[in-house]
Amino acid sequence: MQEPTFLILTALAAGAQHGYGIMSDVARISDGRVRLRAGTLYAALDRLKADGLVTGDKEEIVDGRLRRYYRITDEGTAELAAEVGRLRANAAVAASRLGLAGGTA
Amino acid sequence: MSVAATRGSRMEKWYRRLLALYPKDHRREHAEEMVGVLLAADGAAQVRAPKPVAWALRFGQHTADSADLVGGALRIRGRIALNRLKRAHWLSWTVRDQRWSDALAVVSVVAPLLLLVAALTEFRIPQAVASSITGHPHWELTATLGLADLPMAAGAPGVIILVFLRLRRLAGLGALATAIGQVAAGAVPAFAGYADPAVAFTVLLSGTAAVALLLSPGPDRGLALLTRSGTALVGAAALILGGFSVGGDVWFGSAPTRFDDFGGRVAGVPADLLIAVVLVGVAAACLRAPVSRRVLVLLAIPVIPYAFLWQEKLAVDLFGPPGGGSAIISSSIPLLYLPPLLLASLVLFGTWFARRRAGERDRQVASATA
Repeated sequence: MQEPTFLILTALAAGAQHGYGIMSDVARISDGRVRLRAGTLYAALDRLKADGLVTGDKEEIVDGRLRRYYRITDEGTAELAAEVGRLRANAAVAASRLGLAGGTA
Repeated sequence: MSVAATRGSRMEKWYRRLLALYPKDHRREHAEEMVGVLLAADGAAQVRAPKPVAWALRFGQHTADSADLVGGALRIRGRIALNRLKRAHWLSWTVRDQRWSDALAVVSVVAPLLLLVAALTEFRIPQAVASSITGHPHWELTATLGLADLPMAAGAPGVIILVFLRLRRLAGLGALATAIGQVAAGAVPAFAGYADPAVAFTVLLSGTAAVALLLSPGPDRGLALLTRSGTALVGAAALILGGFSVGGDVWFGSAPTRFDDFGGRVAGVPADLLIAVVLVGVAAACLRAPVSRRVLVLLAIPVIPYAFLWQEKLAVDLFGPPGGGSAIISSSIPLLYLPPLLLASLVLFGTWFARRRAGERDRQVASATA
């Protein structure tokens, strides 16, 4: 799973969010390291929707502009959990080899 | 209207123009919210700074957002095009006979691989690698890429990439284009009196790959059929073909023979004799199963012209060069292309005849039971 996808799913794991909310949350989660732009975000959302990992939620009009919310699906949650497991296992091995606390292998 | 509002309206127009690059459905679904997000991001990026600095920052943000919008449109359009190609129902003829269908599926894996190996050896890439390992100065990469080389240079890697992307039909059309391109660019001058068996080999191999890719379930089925030993056999055959033109003189440093494209002796035995023994062994292993037999017949189609070249080399290896004779057979077009086409016709006629007989048998059984 690519990092932007991982971060978008992580942002949505906390609850449904609109496009700008996802962009801000991803920047916050990654400590400002990953800054999604609209083109990248909506291309990713389009793909995630097609893969059934994300789906559209409610819509509202704010200041005359459409705001659509997205939420993570059960399939998306499972995929994210599996990725978290993979990353955690890899991190544990790396930590162990570096002699850091918490390593397992 | 304030300066900020005028700017916002100008930017909105610009973003809407860029959004026209997106597919219609995507625009209908997301254009409004995307414009909202872009303008909100633009507003959030405003900083208090001296005018030139603020302008430069805004310009940078605006340019990056615009480039990202174009990139997003390309990604979405690319994905849609790829999905359409994968789902396409065009060219959906397949061979009905299960054993021939399976044999073609195996060939749809093997032939593109052999084509790539043939292309690599044509441009002397394995030879150059072998020379760099052994320190033998005999071989160098082909320095120039002529027009006649383009079909193979582009076609062989292109077909492999399309096979890898699971675009079976497109890969088949690519192989067909490679065959036609070679005939047009390389073999036409041969009508003037000289036919190159190596060109005939790659033309017929591209054609066989095209037929296998277009008329079979494709490489997925072929890979499922190729057992571990089968894969090893294919790998061995591909390596042999590569070794074909690398030759023993590069690996073992013996003096170049008259046939520069082929090797000398390995441990005192002609390299080509060893290759012949391995190939015959591979072929014998293939004779055991009905599908493997058919694979062998299909792969024999492109190999026949090479056999003309090879048998002369083998004769030279075993009995010495003929006095004053040409090193390479100047074969004729009919000699190179008719036997493979005859074999292909025999396969077609045989399968048609077998199907007809099976149909008659079924009808007799049906009338007897009625």
